[in-house]
Amino acid sequence: MSKNLSNLSGRKGLQHNLYELLGNSAEANEGTPNPKDLKRLAKDFLMGRANTYGAASFYDFLKPENKGKKVYYCNGSSCMTAGTQNKVMDKLKSNFKEEEIGHICCLGRCHENSSFHYEGKNYSGDSINQIDEIIQQKTKVADAYTIGHSGPQILTGNDLTLDEVKNTLKDIFRKGRETILSDIKASGLRGRGGAGFPIGFKLESAKNTPSDSRFIVCNADEGDPGAYSDRYLMEFQPMKLLLGMLIAGYVVGAEWGVLYIRFEYPESLEIINKAIETLEKENLIGENILGSDFSYFFKTIKARGAYICGEETSLLSSIEGQRAEVRVRPPYPTQEGLFNKPTVVNNVETLACLPFVINHGGEAYKSIGRGKSTGTKLVSLDGFFNNPGIYEVEMGTPFQEVIENLGGGLKEPIKAMHIGGPLGGLVPKEKWGDLTVDFESFAEHGFLLGHASVVCIPMDFPLVKYVQHLFQFTSDESCGKCFPCRLGSKRGAEMFEKAQAGNYSIDEELLTDLLTTLETGSLCALGGGLPLPIKNALQYFRNEFEPYFSKNHIAV
Amino acid sequence: MNYPTDPKYSKEEWDKLPKAFIDGKPFVMEKGETILNFVRRYKEKGLVPTLCDAPNLEAFGSCRVCSVEVALTENGPTKTMASCHTPLNEGMYVYTSTEAVKKLRKNIIELVLTDHPLDCLTCEVNGNCELQTVAAQVGIRDVRYPKGENHQDCDKDLSHPYMTSDFSKCINCYRCVRACDEVQGQFVLSMAGRGFDAHIVKGDNVSFMESDCVSCGACAQACPTSAISDVYQSKAIIAEKTTRTVCTYCGVGCNLEVSTTSNKILSIQAPYEAEANAGHTCLKGRYAFQFYNHPERLNSPMIKRNGEFEKVSWDEVYEFLANKFTTIKSDYGADAIAGISSARCTNEENYLMQKFIRAVIGTNNIDGCARVCHSPTALGMQRTFGTGAATNSIEDIDHTECMMVIGANPTAAHPVTGAKIKQRALKGKTLIVIDPRKTELANLADYHIALRPGTNVAVLNMMLRYIIDEGLVDESFIETRTEGFEDFKANLLKLDLDEMAKIAKVDKELVRKAAIAYAKSSAAMSFHGLGVTEHSQGTFTVMQIADLAMITGNIGRKGVGVNPLRGQNNVQGAADMGVQPHQGAGYLDVTKPDIIKKYEDFYDVKMPGEIGYKIPEMFEAAIAGKLKALWIIGEDVVQTDPNTQKVIKALNSLDLLIVQELFMTETAKHADVILPGASFLEKSGTFTNGERRVQRVQAAVEPIEGTKPDGQIIVDMMNKMGYAQPDYDAATMLEEISQIVPFFAGAKWDTLGDNGKQWPILPDGTDTKILHGETFRRGKGKFYYYDFKESEEITSHGKDYPYIITTNRDLEHYNCGAMTRRTKNVEIHTEDVLWINPKDAQAKGIVNGDLVCVESPRGKVDIKAFVTEGVNEGVLSTTFHFPEIMVNNITSDVHDSEAKCPEYKVVSVNIRKARKTHMRKEGELV
Repeated sequence: MSKNLSNLSGRKGLQHNLYELLGNSAEANEGTPNPKDLKRLAKDFLMGRANTYGAASFYDFLKPENKGKKVYYCNGSSCMTAGTQNKVMDKLKSNFKEEEIGHICCLGRCHENSSFHYEGKNYSGDSINQIDEIIQQKTKVADAYTIGHSGPQILTGNDLTLDEVKNTLKDIFRKGRETILSDIKASGLRGRGGAGFPIGFKLESAKNTPSDSRFIVCNADEGDPGAYSDRYLMEFQPMKLLLGMLIAGYVVGAEWGVLYIRFEYPESLEIINKAIETLEKENLIGENILGSDFSYFFKTIKARGAYICGEETSLLSSIEGQRAEVRVRPPYPTQEGLFNKPTVVNNVETLACLPFVINHGGEAYKSIGRGKSTGTKLVSLDGFFNNPGIYEVEMGTPFQEVIENLGGGLKEPIKAMHIGGPLGGLVPKEKWGDLTVDFESFAEHGFLLGHASVVCIPMDFPLVKYVQHLFQFTSDESCGKCFPCRLGSKRGAEMFEKAQAGNYSIDEELLTDLLTTLETGSLCALGGGLPLPIKNALQYFRNEFEPYFSKNHIAV
Repeated sequence: MNYPTDPKYSKEEWDKLPKAFIDGKPFVMEKGETILNFVRRYKEKGLVPTLCDAPNLEAFGSCRVCSVEVALTENGPTKTMASCHTPLNEGMYVYTSTEAVKKLRKNIIELVLTDHPLDCLTCEVNGNCELQTVAAQVGIRDVRYPKGENHQDCDKDLSHPYMTSDFSKCINCYRCVRACDEVQGQFVLSMAGRGFDAHIVKGDNVSFMESDCVSCGACAQACPTSAISDVYQSKAIIAEKTTRTVCTYCGVGCNLEVSTTSNKILSIQAPYEAEANAGHTCLKGRYAFQFYNHPERLNSPMIKRNGEFEKVSWDEVYEFLANKFTTIKSDYGADAIAGISSARCTNEENYLMQKFIRAVIGTNNIDGCARVCHSPTALGMQRTFGTGAATNSIEDIDHTECMMVIGANPTAAHPVTGAKIKQRALKGKTLIVIDPRKTELANLADYHIALRPGTNVAVLNMMLRYIIDEGLVDESFIETRTEGFEDFKANLLKLDLDEMAKIAKVDKELVRKAAIAYAKSSAAMSFHGLGVTEHSQGTFTVMQIADLAMITGNIGRKGVGVNPLRGQNNVQGAADMGVQPHQGAGYLDVTKPDIIKKYEDFYDVKMPGEIGYKIPEMFEAAIAGKLKALWIIGEDVVQTDPNTQKVIKALNSLDLLIVQELFMTETAKHADVILPGASFLEKSGTFTNGERRVQRVQAAVEPIEGTKPDGQIIVDMMNKMGYAQPDYDAATMLEEISQIVPFFAGAKWDTLGDNGKQWPILPDGTDTKILHGETFRRGKGKFYYYDFKESEEITSHGKDYPYIITTNRDLEHYNCGAMTRRTKNVEIHTEDVLWINPKDAQAKGIVNGDLVCVESPRGKVDIKAFVTEGVNEGVLSTTFHFPEIMVNNITSDVHDSEAKCPEYKVVSVNIRKARKTHMRKEGELV
């Protein structure tokens, strides 16, 4: 994080975006910006050579090691527990040299797994069996998943028509900023990215912070393995999302809406870009929209591979072309965000709710859901379910109902569900019946609703291996800034690796100290959140761990 | 709440003030402070240990070692928070040392030690390592983790003359990266990689030497371990003592902490609490001290006999000089003798030198290097405001909204101020740069007006006119605080803007926008350097800058004003002390009978009443045979004054040239008598920096054998000549000065403190940060209008010599380079080069690195070409640090019409590819 670099990046505006230029250079140079471009960009932006070099080295699809990679297999939790990736690797190896194969963490194809990424496109399910055809004929194989609901449809169903977008815009211009803001506040809508912070407060704070410019940023870096609900929204409900951003922009007086879309979702990026073009053609964005005093533009940013960018301050640094390192708060993004200007960062799902709130009123929205968890929630179910897919449920819906009625039950017995991403809780079978889909229920039971993604862990998958995977994932994805996360995740992964290799026994007190250090000492939710599933695992599946603990060994 | 935890508050105050709790006890809090700041204000540092925190860096929150537990009610539920970046709220209960946080800290340090070599005993910072200290504080004994991946096989980087790195010692606290970014603004360092692989890189993964490092050393000072250090191992604890003193290299006046042992200097650091530089300094201040005991130091008085210097005793040289002075005075009168004092010497020494010339010799022929740099500033600002010194403080940069830098390149010549301006611009504050060259700041500027050298007056008149046209004048300020505006305005309204734009070769619209930005800003601050003063219209330009400030009301408050960037470390002080021919100590007019009387009473001798020679007049007088003896202290006039051949002719015309120096400079070579002086590291006194801050210079080591503090040499001569003057001592000299210089009335050695005081210093010791708050020194600020007038250099020679060369300075070298060329700075910056626009280069068949013959009506020099867009077509620029070039062979005799400052910045020349292919060797005749 450097405020100076934020300023230097901001001087060029969003149209001459450093991150995008780094990405362009990588695309033109076999996957990593060439050194000349890094130097030229540093000079152009008045930064140091270290800054562009350091930034490029941060991202999976910019770093020098990415050079020459042609195909990527998914190494996310869902494909891992599904056990599909050995076969994928074998198939890939017969078509590519080893150094041409990279890995990519979750393509949002958790409903059918066997995922890989080739030449800018995603494949999953049976596609790996058609790999020769794909390479030769560039065949595009579509994926398929169920989209369902069990109550009011806010985010599923048909997307908005252009007329509906236009009418909503007219409506908000007529009502004015204050009215719209109070409606949003009344809705009780809370951020769907995981933290559950009310969007109304963010909008109000950004609106009230004095500045010459403001930004709305859509966090479309849905990095949690197992989650693909944002992908669904971008690909099937783009107008709801874009209109949501327009509404948010209107409320705070922003002129730009930025969508930071993960590299791993090429189709989402394409569809959103097309939707923006359509809005442009219809004059629903641009200068003085529909003759109002409101001007608004969209910018899509193609992310370049870093889980940490789901954290809002890292994401902002990333848009600026900096290393995506977590910033301290305060200042909050609504005070000093993108290019040091007031910025509202919200998740796709949150923003996509806003058209409903405006069209039906905040109170109507609030009447849906349960308690402080208002509205509906999208749940992503993975390939272990009989009906994998995206389901919209009213907040407060019993979780068992989601499993049975919507998901159609499980294909095979499993021991636990990892819900809400890698930092979410590991929910054992006996707890499924206790939960309802809302922030409070999960928290009360010592879990986390998070983004409501579900990754199933089959009976034969050792949790020791899963815990090592979580430590390793965090170690790979840590921004490297705070000491506990950078060092602790690595040491944790090493402990479990060594223990499984048989030449080391884990000191349980040390492990407890490590988890406490991560939980209470980390700067952000990555290091801070990692201990939750591990503690769940230790609590509910202790017998699986005991052979690896030193006390146990001594006893033997 | 129990009263009183802090006895400085009365019971009533205490009850009213907002408070928070540290470990159960209430303390008064400050608005907006962090928990760490709050705790540190009341408790010892070790109570809440830190690693990534540093005094001059923003809170960063990476190490988490500063974590504390916080509750909103007494014994309420607590939350663990990093205290360095968590704001304190009223009524918060901060628990600094619960078992949980103590354990957390210990566990974090244990993790750090899993990737750190355990070789403390052989490490250069053993005993002064923050990691070592914190590890001891948290009570860590062993590392329980199994041996894992680490970074302990990193190679050391020893590529650079000063900077070193050993990243096996790195703890990834980012302090170096942040120092390079937040303090220097150079962006040489960054992290690369991610997660556990995150590591520091210099540039695009190159060595220090290959990087764009400016060797300021901020990273090395910031580093808590020895991961980044320097060749002097500045953080090692082997020093016997440290001495706080002030840098000799420029007018910023950086405070330095000099570590010594056995009378040898080991290293220099910058104290964080220094007001002038807040823990920062540049490579000159921090690293370029090796000259002080360089083998080439002059170490004995010498008299030239039969063309050869002979070493003589002090007694002999004093005797010789006393006789000479007496003879010349009786043969030709006192006015046949003159002195040039040194801005590198202390106030006390300068005071003594002018006293010697005036009270002992009996003439006002005393001048100093201000003549060739800021004499127009002093004169211009005196005419307009009444005081010829910076109106505001360096610190004001933190409060300004708009900075106008005109004719100055502070990132090279005033690096710490330059870095501060840069930082402010990086915060999004407006930056206007008026300079023919694309300087580092110009690159960053919102408005860079790259005018033709010599046309400042045209551009500033345009700005003034636009401000009037746009209705942006501060009418109430003009009405209440100034005079002469109506005439001034009437003249401006007659200005032909198109013609001025054409003359200056600037875009009218750009000038208009810059003028509007300056005028509309709520607090605009101007900085100027020699690109303003060293012109035939230098004084007028200074007055226009003052006009801009007055017309927009940018005077007398924080973040505004007119701020000359004084060049040499004590050039402000030299003039304050009376080193100028028309004003004695304290700027008192030497021709006024009441002033003469005052000085006569004080010095108890008859005082001269005629204005003496300015430096260029001294040279004229010498050539004319009117000046017979000249005593020059610490000034290489041959290398640095314009028109070298004429200077040499003047020196050779003298009967007696005394040069008091550290080294055998180009000027010293022409001397009849050499007096070996002492460097700033070897003597005490005060320097006054560019913001009028009088600071204590304290000897770090004894003068090297055979030399004496310059002040003592002057005192010895005074006594020899029959004037009783006590031996040189900083405190007693300052006492004498405080009795005669009005604005030094309260300047006492013992009460100046570590950070000095900004004059005027009132008798009670109160100092002055901002001048002209209520009224101007002269009463009302006065507007004067001046038309642009083309320099005589251009009108006489522009046709035959169509290029304009302008001279400037580089970061690594100071003035004639006598000091810096005798340090490792020469390994970083090795030669003077000629900036030339690619189009000009192409037209003349010159490529990068070619020797170019630069010829003016005075002479010619060969300089290596550096082809760059940094100068416009028709404009060239170079430096004058190296005697191999002697660029002043070509500079002109034209001077500022008012203050007689030479016009170094506008020299008509012609260029061609040189026939020679090698440079002149040092020592080869000029």
